[in-house]
Amino acid sequence: MEKEEEKGCNSSSSLNWESFRDDDIMHQHSAILDEEAFKVPFVGDKEPLSALAAEYHSGSPILLEKIKLLEENYSAIRRTRGDGNCFFRSFMFSYLEHILETQDKVEVDRVMANVEECRKTLQGLGYADFTFEDFFSLFLEQLESVIQGEDASISHDELVKRSRDQSVSDYVVMFFRFVTSGEIRKRSEFFEPFILGLTNATVDQFCKTSVEPMGEESDHVQIIALSDALGVPIRVVYLDRSSCETGVSVNHHDFIPCALQNGESSSEINPYITLLYRPGHYDILYSK
Amino acid sequence: MKFSCWSFLQLQASRARLFKEYKEVQREKSADPDIQLVCDDSNIFKWTALIKGPSETPYEGGVFQLAFAVPEQYPLQPPQVRFLTKIFHPNVHFKTGEICLDILKNAWSPAWTLQSVCRAIIALMAHPEPDSPLNCDSGNLLRSGDLRGFQSMAKMYTRLAAMPKKG
Repeated sequence: MEKEEEKGCNSSSSLNWESFRDDDIMHQHSAILDEEAFKVPFVGDKEPLSALAAEYHSGSPILLEKIKLLEENYSAIRRTRGDGNCFFRSFMFSYLEHILETQDKVEVDRVMANVEECRKTLQGLGYADFTFEDFFSLFLEQLESVIQGEDASISHDELVKRSRDQSVSDYVVMFFRFVTSGEIRKRSEFFEPFILGLTNATVDQFCKTSVEPMGEESDHVQIIALSDALGVPIRVVYLDRSSCETGVSVNHHDFIPCALQNGESSSEINPYITLLYRPGHYDILYSK
Repeated sequence: MKFSCWSFLQLQASRARLFKEYKEVQREKSADPDIQLVCDDSNIFKWTALIKGPSETPYEGGVFQLAFAVPEQYPLQPPQVRFLTKIFHPNVHFKTGEICLDILKNAWSPAWTLQSVCRAIIALMAHPEPDSPLNCDSGNLLRSGDLRGFQSMAKMYTRLAAMPKKG
């Protein structure tokens, strides 16, 4: 009796799907992801922009024209893995690399103060400290280590290595996810209309299903929230097939943190983090 | 060499996190009388929980045992949780006790804890999702609107499996 009913649920296939448990499927899924990992590291090597053109050599003429335009302002690209964390991963590397190269201690102090604010935000929202503190301390550790002249200082090569090491890289990505979620929840009235337009979910549902879980892709909402929370401006350059009658141009959008929008005109702010967006994916761009 | 190094770091991180959860559970023991979460004496990656069936459901009066297997990548990866106590519920596999719950799969995040997972499972007991059934018989009863049939089956299994035997 029981057997017969089960058959009904298992459709007409001769395969016994009953024997595949969800965790088997999850294991298989992560095995496929691991296989992909050998193809593209979390953070790739810096490549000349010509490597991007090579990808499309027999592709859309609009894209090739846009890449040519990009070459006027940008010299190189650094790819990140397309695992749903590419926005956060690109931001992580780009930001830490910027601090490593500029040794801007004023910026480090500024961002550390913002990180402390984020910690308070999460506490205020009722998150238990132990759920996020490991991710916060790992990020602060990386931030301190890119400042030179300390025992724990690291080289550029080591930064690349760490960004490719899952135990560092994923923890820092998760730190940004916590910060982003905290900012969205704290200013839920501001973010609610954007979120409703995107998903029809409540702010709480959106944070739980589209911000906090690893591997969930990021959109404008997450970028605005992260940029605001940390006070770091981000430029996103869009590379897609769109064009208008007056010709081909490459669009970009600057995400200027709300704290910087008052006072000086926001058009004077030049973001030092530039990401290249192709539908569904973010990579890092380097200005000339 | 590189791989073993990474798993060692992970193992340390997950152990440290589980130890914090352990301390929190000890501290908050009385805060959640419906959940009794216990760590294995010799292995911090193995936990069991006793949860009370929510009131005004066919599980009321029952005590259900859950088994947790925590992976080394915890808390980046979710714990594996299953019912050890037999339960008739659309989202629980009748034979294996496997649970169909988004936070244990793709919606997992480190913001969840073993304790809050227990709360989510209690909420799932009170609010079944018959459209993604692991137990087809149970899902079909609910989807066809036979609430009475579903409740009497669920109640029967609660009595048989989740209540202390009398006498």
